[in-house]
Amino acid sequence: MTRTAAAPAPLSMKQVLLCGAMIVTLSMGIRHGFGLWLQPITMDRGWTRETFAFALAVQNLAWGVAGPFAGALADRFGAFKVLIVGSLLYAGGLVLMAVSTSGLAFTGSAGLLLGMAQSGTTYAVVYGVIGRNVAPEKRSWAMGVAAAAGSFGQFLMVPTENWLIGHLGWQQALFVLGCIALAIIPLAAGLKEPKFIVNPLQQSLGAALREAFAYPSFLLLMAGYFVCGFQVVFIGVHMPSYLKDHGLSQDVATGALALIGLFNVIGTYTAGALGQRLPKRYILSTIYALRSVAIVIFLSVPLSPTSVYVFASVMGVLWLSTVPPTNAIVAQVFGVRYLSMLGGFVFLSHQVGSFLGVWLGGKLYDSTGSYDVVWWIAVGLGVFAALVNLPVRESAIVRAAPQPA
Amino acid sequence: MKKGLARVAIWLAVGAALLLVFAAYLNPEMAFTLANQLWNCF
Repeated sequence: MTRTAAAPAPLSMKQVLLCGAMIVTLSMGIRHGFGLWLQPITMDRGWTRETFAFALAVQNLAWGVAGPFAGALADRFGAFKVLIVGSLLYAGGLVLMAVSTSGLAFTGSAGLLLGMAQSGTTYAVVYGVIGRNVAPEKRSWAMGVAAAAGSFGQFLMVPTENWLIGHLGWQQALFVLGCIALAIIPLAAGLKEPKFIVNPLQQSLGAALREAFAYPSFLLLMAGYFVCGFQVVFIGVHMPSYLKDHGLSQDVATGALALIGLFNVIGTYTAGALGQRLPKRYILSTIYALRSVAIVIFLSVPLSPTSVYVFASVMGVLWLSTVPPTNAIVAQVFGVRYLSMLGGFVFLSHQVGSFLGVWLGGKLYDSTGSYDVVWWIAVGLGVFAALVNLPVRESAIVRAAPQPA
Repeated sequence: MKKGLARVAIWLAVGAALLLVFAAYLNPEMAFTLANQLWNCF
C-alpha cells in the first residue's frame, strides 16, 4: 500500500484534532512527570540516582533515534497501526518499569521501551495525519492546537502523577499510567485513514530522504531545532540547581515550573495560529532571538523571585512554540507524503540538542563551578538559530514530473 | 451568533482548565513534594 498526497482529505478536521490532541496530551503528559519517581524508586530498589538518570537519558535518545523509523512506518502503513504498537509499548514499558528489579531491566523498560513508545505516539506521527487531512490554510493552526494539547498534558500530568504516587504508591501509580496509555488505542481509531490510491509514479522513501537532506532549508530547520532542544532541556533540568546555588528557596523553583507549564500552552497555540498569517521562518527566528534576549536580561538583573517568575513566564511562551512552525514548514516545502518521517528526523536533531544541553550543563558546571558558560552558550546558540532560520525557504519544492517506465 | 457563543464557551473552558491545573501546583502539599523532587535531583 502506498499513499498519495493528492488523495482527498478523508477525515474531518474536528475528528483529527480531537483525537490527535488527546493522544499527544496523554503521550507527552505521562512522560513529563517521570522525575517524580526518582526518589521512591531509588529508595525502594536501593539504586543510585545515576541508574535512574541513565535510564531517562536512554529514553530521550531512543525517542529521537526511533522517531524517523516510527515516522516512516506511519507514512507507509498508516498512523493508526503505529499508534497501536506505540500504545502497547507505552503500557508494557510502564508495567515493566514498575517491576524491574535491576538497573539493566529498568534501562530496558523505562529507557528503551518507553523511548520507542514515545516515538510512535507523539508529534511526528500525529502531525502526519493532521498534514494529510487538514487544509493547508488551517494546517499551522491545527498543529498549534495539537502542540498546545501536548503542552497541556505536560502541565496537567505532573500534579496528577504526584497525586497518584501519594495515594496509591509509586508502583501502583505506574500500573494506572499503563492503563491510561492504553486509552491511546481507541483514540487512534479516530486517526485511521482509508487506503489511498496506489500511485507508482510517486516519490520513494529514499528519494524523499535524499531530497530533504540535499535541501539547505531542511538542514537549517534541523539546526534551529537542535538549539531548541539544547536551550529548553538545559533550562528545564539545570535551572533548579542554578536557583539553589543563588540561595533561592524551593518554592521559587516550583513556581517557575508551574509558570513555564502554563505559558507553554499559550505559546504553542499562539505560534501555530500566527503561522497561518505570517511567514513561519520569521516566527521561528523571533522565538530564538527572544529566548536569547530573555536569557541575557535574566542574567543581567539581580536574581530575585520576581525575576525568576518573569523569566519563567517569558520562556514558557517560547518553550515548545517552535514545534508548530517547524513542522508546518516541513509540510509546506516537502508535502505531506513523508511528513512523519521527515518530522522524525527534525526531532532527532532536537533530541541530540537536548542530550547535549543536559550533559554539557553538568560537565561545564563541574569544570568551571558555575552555569555562566552554559548560559552564554545558550545565548549564542539562540542568536545562531535566529539567523539560520531567516533564509529558510517556505515555498513548495519544485520536482521534475515523474515519467512512467 | 451560536458559533460565537460556542467559541466563547470553549475559550472559557480552556481558561478554567488552565487555572485549575495552575492552582494544583500552588497546593502546599504538591509544592512541597515537587520542590523536594527538584532539589533531590541536584
